[in-house]
Amino acid sequence: MNKNAIDNIIALSSELRWKIGDDFHDGLAEGIYADASEIANASISTDNEKKRFRLDSKIDKIVTSKTWGFPIMFLILGMILWLTILGANYPSSMLASLLLDNIHPALKSFATTIGAPWWLDGFLIDGVYLAVAWVIAVMLPPMAIFFPMFTLLEDFGYLPRVAFNLDYMFKKSGAHGKQALTMSMGFGCNAAGVVATRIIDSPRERLIAIITNNFSLCNGRWPTQILIATIFIGAVVPASFSAFASLFAVIGIAVLGIFFMFFTSWALTKTVLKGEVSTFNLELPPYRPPRFWKTIYTSIIDRTLIVLWRAILFAAPAGAVIWLISNIYIGNESVATWTINSLDGFGFLLGMNGVILLAYIVAIPANEIVIPTILMLTVMATGIVGGVGTGVMFELDSVNATGDILRAGGWTLLTAVNLMLFSLLHNPCSTTIYTIYKETKSAKWTTVASVLPLIMGFVITFLVAQIWRLVF
Amino acid sequence: MNTYNPIYALLIFFAISFFGYLLFRPRKGWFWLIKNNLKSNEKIVIEDVLKQLYHSENSGKEVNVNSLTSALKFGDSIVVDAIKKMAINDLVQFDGDVLKLTNSGRDYALRIVRVHRLWEKYLAEKTGYDKTQWHEMAESKEHELSHEETNLLATKLGNPMYDPHGDPIPTNTGKIADVTGEFLSSLAVNAVGKIVHIEDEPDVIYKQILAENIHIGSQIRVVENNKKRVVFYAEGEEFKLAPIVAANITVAVLEKDEVIEENIVRLSSLKENEVAHILGISKESRGDNRRRLLDLGFVKGTEISIDLVSPMKNPIAYLVKGASIALRKDQASKILIKKD
Repeated sequence: MNKNAIDNIIALSSELRWKIGDDFHDGLAEGIYADASEIANASISTDNEKKRFRLDSKIDKIVTSKTWGFPIMFLILGMILWLTILGANYPSSMLASLLLDNIHPALKSFATTIGAPWWLDGFLIDGVYLAVAWVIAVMLPPMAIFFPMFTLLEDFGYLPRVAFNLDYMFKKSGAHGKQALTMSMGFGCNAAGVVATRIIDSPRERLIAIITNNFSLCNGRWPTQILIATIFIGAVVPASFSAFASLFAVIGIAVLGIFFMFFTSWALTKTVLKGEVSTFNLELPPYRPPRFWKTIYTSIIDRTLIVLWRAILFAAPAGAVIWLISNIYIGNESVATWTINSLDGFGFLLGMNGVILLAYIVAIPANEIVIPTILMLTVMATGIVGGVGTGVMFELDSVNATGDILRAGGWTLLTAVNLMLFSLLHNPCSTTIYTIYKETKSAKWTTVASVLPLIMGFVITFLVAQIWRLVF
Repeated sequence: MNTYNPIYALLIFFAISFFGYLLFRPRKGWFWLIKNNLKSNEKIVIEDVLKQLYHSENSGKEVNVNSLTSALKFGDSIVVDAIKKMAINDLVQFDGDVLKLTNSGRDYALRIVRVHRLWEKYLAEKTGYDKTQWHEMAESKEHELSHEETNLLATKLGNPMYDPHGDPIPTNTGKIADVTGEFLSSLAVNAVGKIVHIEDEPDVIYKQILAENIHIGSQIRVVENNKKRVVFYAEGEEFKLAPIVAANITVAVLEKDEVIEENIVRLSSLKENEVAHILGISKESRGDNRRRLLDLGFVKGTEISIDLVSPMKNPIAYLVKGASIALRKDQASKILIKKD
C-alpha cells in the first residue's frame, strides 16, 4: 500500500469519527452493559424472597437511623479505644518489666563478664536494645488489641455504614466518608491508617486521608498525653476531680485532632489538591458473621507485626543516636547538651524547652520513646539526681517522681499543655512517613504530609505560649 | 531570654503571616502577579486580539481599535502596538476603521480557540477542578501549548467535537462543527428542546446558571417567556431565569416527530418506596465519575429504588442490580430516571 492510500484511510476514519459524534463511547459502553444484563437476566434465576435478608435491612435501619446512628457509632469506637488503652496496660507493664527490668540488666552484666568495652556495651545495649525494647513494650499490646477488634468490625460489614452516616460531614470538608474509618484506624497507628486509605478509590480524597491521618492521636502518643495530663492538668484542680480533669484534657486533645483533621482537609481541597480527580461511591455490602480466627490471624500478622517490624527497624538507629549524642563530647559538652542549649531559645518561644524539641527530633522514628528520652535528657541537662546513666533512657513507676523530675527541669503548666499540643501536631513518625511514601509514590506529598503538621504545631504552640504569658 | 515581651513576638508573627498572605494569596498575591507579568508578552496580546476579533466576527459585530482596547484588559498603547505589528504580518487588515481578520489571521485564531476548548475539555474529563475555574485556566494555557502538544492532547482526549460548555472544538485542519440552536430567551412557550450550549462568559451570569444546577444536554419545555422571566421545566424540576441569563443558554429545538422522552426526572427526586428505571447519565457527569457509575451498573433500563437514607439525608444508598450503593446528592442529580 502506498503512503497516499494510508493517509486517505486515516483521513476517512477521522471523518467518520467526527460524524459519529461525542456520544459514541457512552453509547457503546451502555450498550455492552445493557446486553450483559439482558443475558444475565435471561440465564440467572434468583429467589426474590431471599434477595435481601430481612435481618440485614433491620440492622441497617437501626445503625443508620437518625436517632441511633451516631450514638451507636460513638459507643462502639469509644469502647474499642477504652478497651485498647485499659487492656494494654497490663501486658505492656509485663513486657516492660521483662524487657527493661530483667533482660536489660542481665545483658549489661553479661557484657561486663565478657569484658566488652564501655562504648560498645552502651551503644548496643543502652542505645539500640533499650529503644527497641521500649517500642515493643509500648506498641505491641495496644496494637494487638486494637487491630483485631477493628478488623472484626470491618469483616462484619459495620464500618461501611459508619462511612455512610458520616459522609455528609466529611463531604463538607472535601473528604470521603471512608476517611472516618482510616481516621479511626489512625487512633491505633498512623502507619496502619495510611495503608487503610487504600479503601478510598478517589485520588483526591485518598490523598487528603493520607495527609491528615497524622491528626489522629496514635497509640504511641496516648501514653504521653495521659502521663502529662495526670501530672500537670490533674494537679491544678482539687484532688477529687483530678482524674476527671486529666481524662477530659486527653479527650480534648483527641477531639482537637479531629477538628484539625477536618480543617486541614478543607484547606487542602481549596488549595494544593484542587486539581486532583474526585469521585464518590460507597458500597454497603451485606452483613456476614465475622470469620473470627482468620480475622485475628490476619490482623495480627498483616497489621500488627508488619507495623511493629517497621517500627523496630526505625527505632534501633534512634536508640543508637540517643546514646551517641549523650556520650560524644564537643569540647566540654556532649552533643546533646550543646543541642539542648541551642534549641532552648526557640523552645522557650514555643512555651516548651530545648529538651522537648531534641527529644522530638531523636524520637522521629517512634513517638513511644519521647517520655523516656525527655526524662533522661532532663536529668542530664539539669544535673539532678536520678536516672540510670548518661544516654540511658528510663521511666519511673511513680507518676509523682516523674513529675518531680520534670518540674526540676523547669516545667510549668504551660510546658505541659504545649507538649500535649505538640505531641498532637508534629511530623508523623518515620514509619508513617515511609508508609506515606510507599502509598503515594510521591516525594511531594510525603513532604507535605510531614512538614505541614509540624508547621501547624509550631504556630499553635507559639500562639498559646504568647497568649498564656500575656494573660498569666 | 526570659525577658522578652510576648506582644512583640505576636506582632512580628502576624507581620510575617500578613506579608506571606500578600505574597501568596490566590491570584492577587504579589508572587503570582510578578510571575504572570514575566510571562505576559507580545504573543499573548496578539493572540488575545485575534481571539476577540474571531468571536466578534462570528457573532456579526464590527470591531474597531477603540472597542478592542476597551474589551481587552491590556494597556491601550500595548494593544495598538500589537495591532500595528499584526497588520505588518498580515494577520489583520483595516477596512476603513473596521478591523478584520485575514485568512492567516483566522487560521491562527482558530488554533488558539482549539487549544482553549481542548484544555477545558481536558480539565473537565481528567482533573478535579471546579467548572467555574475551567475558563480562566484555559485562558492562560491557550498561549502555552505548541501545535504538536495540542494535537497530542486532542488524540488523548479522543478528538472531541465539543468542549464541556457545548462549544465546537476546531479540528487541526480548521474544520468546526456547527451549533444550531436558539437562545433560550427567544423560545416560544411550549417549545421543547435540548440544551446544547451554556456560555461561560461573563463570569457573573455563568455562575448564576451553575448555581441553578442547570445541566447541558437536558431536555426542556418552556412554560413561560416574557420580559421579566423565562420559566421552563427540565428533568422534572422547574427553573426560573431572568431573560438576560437565559440568553446565555442555547437550545436545539426538537421537532414534533423526533422521539421525545416524557417524564424524565433526576434520581435525586426519587422518594423512598418508589421504584424507577434509569434512562441515562447526564452529560454533566464526566470523566472518572461517569465511568465509575457505568461500572456500578447505572445504565439505561436498570431498575432502581432507595435502600437507605443516611441520618443527614445525604448520601442516599440505592438498590441497583442487587447491590446497595450510596451516592451523594449532586451525583444523584446527574442520573436521569423515569418513575414506574
